[in-house]
Amino acid sequence: MIGLQARGVGKHFGGVVALDDVSLNLLPGEIHGLIGPNGSGKTTMLNLLSGYYRPDEGDVLLDGTKLSGHSVQQRARLGIARTFQKPRLLGTLTVLDNAMLGAWRDVASGFLTTAFALPRTLGEERALRSRAEELIHGVGLGHAIHRRANLLEHAEQRFLEIARALALRPRYLLLDEPAGGLTGAEIDHLRRIVEVVRDSGIGVLLVEHHTDFVFRICGRVTTLDRGRLIKHGSPDEVRTDAEVIRVYLGA
Amino acid sequence: MTRGRAKWALALVFGIVLVSLPYWVRDLYQLHLASLIGAYWVLIAGLNLVVGYTGQLSIGHVGLLAVGSYCFAILAGKLGLDPQLSMAICGALGGLVGAVLGLPSLRLPGFYFAMATMAFALIVTELSLAQGDVTGGGTGLSVPGFSAPFDTPWGNYWLILAIGTLITWLTWNVACLMWGRALIAVRDSEVAAASVGVGIFRLKLTVFIFSGVTAGIGGALFASLQSYITPDTFVFEIGLFFFVCIIIGGRGTILGPFIGTVILTALPELVAPLAKFGTFFYGLTLLVVVLLIPEGFGRLVELAVARFSGEPHRSHEVRPDLVRLGAALKEREVAS
Amino acid sequence: MLTVIVSGLAIGAVYAAAALAYNVMYSTSKVLSVTTGHLCMLGGVFGAWFIAGLGLPIPVGLAGAIAVGALFGWITEIVGVRRVLARSDEHLWLLSTLALATMIQQAVGLWWGTEPKPFPRLIPQDFSAGLFDQKYWLPILVVILMAAGLELFYRLTLWGKLFQATSEDAFAARARGIPTDRVRSLSYLLSGAVGGLAGFTAGQLTFAFFALGLSLTLNGFIALAVGGLGSNLGALVGGAGLGLLSAFATYLFGGEYQQTIAVGLLMLVLLVRPEGLFGAKRVRPV
Repeated sequence: MIGLQARGVGKHFGGVVALDDVSLNLLPGEIHGLIGPNGSGKTTMLNLLSGYYRPDEGDVLLDGTKLSGHSVQQRARLGIARTFQKPRLLGTLTVLDNAMLGAWRDVASGFLTTAFALPRTLGEERALRSRAEELIHGVGLGHAIHRRANLLEHAEQRFLEIARALALRPRYLLLDEPAGGLTGAEIDHLRRIVEVVRDSGIGVLLVEHHTDFVFRICGRVTTLDRGRLIKHGSPDEVRTDAEVIRVYLGA
Repeated sequence: MTRGRAKWALALVFGIVLVSLPYWVRDLYQLHLASLIGAYWVLIAGLNLVVGYTGQLSIGHVGLLAVGSYCFAILAGKLGLDPQLSMAICGALGGLVGAVLGLPSLRLPGFYFAMATMAFALIVTELSLAQGDVTGGGTGLSVPGFSAPFDTPWGNYWLILAIGTLITWLTWNVACLMWGRALIAVRDSEVAAASVGVGIFRLKLTVFIFSGVTAGIGGALFASLQSYITPDTFVFEIGLFFFVCIIIGGRGTILGPFIGTVILTALPELVAPLAKFGTFFYGLTLLVVVLLIPEGFGRLVELAVARFSGEPHRSHEVRPDLVRLGAALKEREVAS
Repeated sequence: MLTVIVSGLAIGAVYAAAALAYNVMYSTSKVLSVTTGHLCMLGGVFGAWFIAGLGLPIPVGLAGAIAVGALFGWITEIVGVRRVLARSDEHLWLLSTLALATMIQQAVGLWWGTEPKPFPRLIPQDFSAGLFDQKYWLPILVVILMAAGLELFYRLTLWGKLFQATSEDAFAARARGIPTDRVRSLSYLLSGAVGGLAGFTAGQLTFAFFALGLSLTLNGFIALAVGGLGSNLGALVGGAGLGLLSAFATYLFGGEYQQTIAVGLLMLVLLVRPEGLFGAKRVRPV
């Protein structure tokens, strides 16, 4: 069964239940929204899928294979990429370096081959550099490509994280509140970028608070509240659901 | 002249200055000092990858220096093996001991790891005192020099220069290529590193073992310059000194720690009163750097150069190029 | 044999005191300072100087030693921790406290000399008292009392709870009006006082010696790691265990492998139980 799937997952921290019997399947080539009030378990779900937590009940599967024992790194190597709520960049390195880091999965060179700068390693470097450059221009950071990451503005940092995640050649991209702190125009850019990502066949999980953005761009939306799944369906179905309105959308 | 060409020209000039050094220093003492700096640099260049790039605060690397030195003294001195071959074995032994130290310690959080390396340095001193029959105990061992053509002061210097240049080139490559980025990721954001698939422990251990090899080789070179070593030669303060050279020079650069090594080694020799206050001075410098210029003096130089290059920082709206993005994402298989 | 046990417990008490000092600092800042051992060393050195050097009466010397310890604890916070905690780089406080520790140790070495100097007798007692010599039971008694005092402090007093609130979540603490900077300063002051007092009472055992700083930083840390970070009972148990192990190692193998054996203990415990005997398990960082 294709997809990055959470099947009946449960997670608790001490006495607090973060997730309770939640299922979700992210398919390639779709944008899947995950919304809910604060504390509903959105980030926990994202962390479960990407491997920072192990589920206490249920399983995480990739195309039918259980992932529960896989580390974060192993999942990255399987093509699961993510961004973070607060961008985690390498401040002293340039935009280009940060984006190239995302391509680590495709680095075949070991320490010694790198130290001796063998032709194979240099070729690999050139290829990964050009991939990163294309992605940097693609997300709109071409003007800052050699700028130090800690000199970037907030929106630039967010887009850089996306470029880095895409450098991994992911099959699934998990975005953790990527629109946080962005202006309307920037959210528009983000929308177009995510749509291009989807059109290339990557499955995108969009954890977001900007519900307008979610309903506009997502094919399917899952809503959580206090760790439980309360509604799953198309944007129209979710937006008009009484429970969702009561818990999250309504005034 | 482009910036790239200017850098090459500068490096060439620098190289000529270094190679011709025996001809223009005033006396053998200064030549010896230069050789000592070189021997230290061989160790520090490797340690730089550990401390400056991977962020593993190893304050006890003097223990690995001691391992290399004693190994050289025993193999080349006591057992009469070929000195150059002995040095190579010292490197290998340094790497092995580095692995033994690194395997349990590198998984520990920062402070724990630093303490473990400090304990290691003290253990090496303790063992070298205790195992008298092998190491000469408190009396120590005499250390031979290298064989011809490295048996003269300038021959020795050129040997150290050659090895130092090789090690510098190796670490430079690592720093500039993908491994360098991964190491800095481990240093600055393990979460980000893991998210792109970096095997954090594997990287830490690999560079640590490499730093053990360079420490072993550096130890051999250092010992032959001392011509006599005792456990007291390898006081903990030396390990602190290596560490400080890197921090004040600047983490994440190769040149910074090199300049740091040159300055911190030469300064107490040239400014006599400083010699007595040596370690206090290192501590003070470290404190000042950490509080005021945490990125080290290397960064100050970078900023000064950037000011002269004059690139104005223009605020620019993010403007995606969706066509390029789509094309880039089409690359599903790895391009060879 | 009995001497081995008693002397082991006595030196173990000093290690335990350093571990207690670590705990106090950690309780408000989540920082482990390299200067911890040096605070104990200063208590011993300044105690000896006040009483034997300046001829001051013993209670004044005692107060002075505690004050010096507290002062340097406070300096550690102001110089080495406060400015650095604000930045996100967690390596920095290790570097700054390491730098401070180096400066303190070297300065004392230059001023006091590098030879261990004798510490004056505190209570009139014959030197042939053997097992009952105050150099053994003074540190043991005082450290146990300090540990008990700290436990009461944390459990029963408001300040104790403030300490814990500050370290759990400094941001939330500030939001509730807790002056986190001042709380942290106070905890480092207290930590210094603990160290200074311990160094003073153990002076007759350890002598007034500048190199004790780094040695106690390391051994105090081993006691802390074995006993468990954050646990005062663990500090006592870890210190006692380490002290006894060192004493027996010296007795059986002649003191040549003391450091090696101590670290061996540390590694063993960390491999089997990384959080120490009484420590709390860590939570994931993301």
